[in-house]
Amino acid sequence: MRSALIVMLLCGTAHADRWSRLADEWSGAAWLHYEATVLDRVEHDASVKQIGLAGARLHGVFGHGHVFAFHAGLDLAAGGTVGQGGFAYDVAFMPFGVALRPSERSVIALGTGVGAMGGVPSLDGAVTLPIDLTAEVGDGRVRLLARGRVSYVAGAASRADGAPSLSTGPESSLLGDELEAMLGVRIGRGYHEYGFNSGNGYFVAASYRELEGARFAGVTFGYSIDLASPRSMGR
Amino acid sequence: MRWLFWVSVACTFAKQPLVAPPNDVTTVLLVTGTLGRPLDGIARHPWLAVRRKGAQMWQLYEVPSVATESDPFDRGHDYGNPILHAVWRGDEADRAADCIEHEAEPIIRDIDDHYIFYPGPNSNTFGDRILRKCGLHASLPSTSIGKDWRGLIGAGVTSEGTGVQVETPIVGLKIGLKEGIELHVIGLSIGVDFWPPAIILPLGPGRLGFADR
Repeated sequence: MRSALIVMLLCGTAHADRWSRLADEWSGAAWLHYEATVLDRVEHDASVKQIGLAGARLHGVFGHGHVFAFHAGLDLAAGGTVGQGGFAYDVAFMPFGVALRPSERSVIALGTGVGAMGGVPSLDGAVTLPIDLTAEVGDGRVRLLARGRVSYVAGAASRADGAPSLSTGPESSLLGDELEAMLGVRIGRGYHEYGFNSGNGYFVAASYRELEGARFAGVTFGYSIDLASPRSMGR
Repeated sequence: MRWLFWVSVACTFAKQPLVAPPNDVTTVLLVTGTLGRPLDGIARHPWLAVRRKGAQMWQLYEVPSVATESDPFDRGHDYGNPILHAVWRGDEADRAADCIEHEAEPIIRDIDDHYIFYPGPNSNTFGDRILRKCGLHASLPSTSIGKDWRGLIGAGVTSEGTGVQVETPIVGLKIGLKEGIELHVIGLSIGVDFWPPAIILPLGPGRLGFADR
């Protein structure tokens, strides 16, 4: 596959001008996570006692400038719940977003779109409107991975105002219905090959979630890779 | 980070040793190696190595070309950490070699013409297609992303020959006696193999358990 990629790139020299123009005008970065998360209910009642989800997150940013970029992402996860146990899923497609690139491989990105999250039969399935803030910072062996998300929930009345931290009392919260966050560290390597900066490694993170009026805390294990074109390409 | 890769490799037990069999009969090998960094932990590339009875050199069939090499496993800096997945010897290998010599180049040209690095068709699509075309019953590892590419929608018998699969670029499913149950989501594979027992993961050698052989 690598040879084929190189051949494909070489074949592209037939259209060198077009590629060159694209490379001159645009730059970007992408990151892929494989991750598994286990969350345990830490307080308050909820039909779910534990949640286990595994899946992938694929995000990318691209733009004309050195620092500012557009952002899009796809998150897919499936697993199960304990306590009325069953199948659980959590997916989100976020095509609308903006990002900052403070360094070659570091990205701070905000995104939104549409998602779905639920558990059969323990957690009513809902359509979600996620507002997701992601930070991937670090160009070397150590990389900080952080993510926070507020979700508005539709189609599941039982899950409205499910985040105690966002609750504003008897009135429905305008800040969102559910909340989740992750903060972790990846230990890996950074590379500079073929003119691109990249890196990969395993990571561990603390995870937190609020839904159905309950708080959940747990841990995430994963593997991630990141790839970035030089910011100077996008001028 | 290499030590962590090797930890995950070490979690695949009873792998076939990387030893080329003697040339007293025709031999066909199915081998995969990792892509370059940073994809080395999640993506592999296949090639079929064919050596006729009495020959010294191996013909390596892969996308984008066919090459002649003295060592079927050493691909220099192109593909690292090779894994030997299957070996065919004798009459079975003679039939396989005839088929590969006849069928491989048209498939390689076809994939070259329509090549898309991800999700396919790519070199792993070639590996799966040539295995099925020549009746070589083996499976590519789950990290051979593109092995299950069947176009916008497709269904058929698996390369291992004891199961069936239905595939789209977004989601797919493979079920079989030797294949186990494998769910494919955007080209990533996860599942359970019952024999040899292993958890199928889209990482490292693609399995946590016993090697597929």
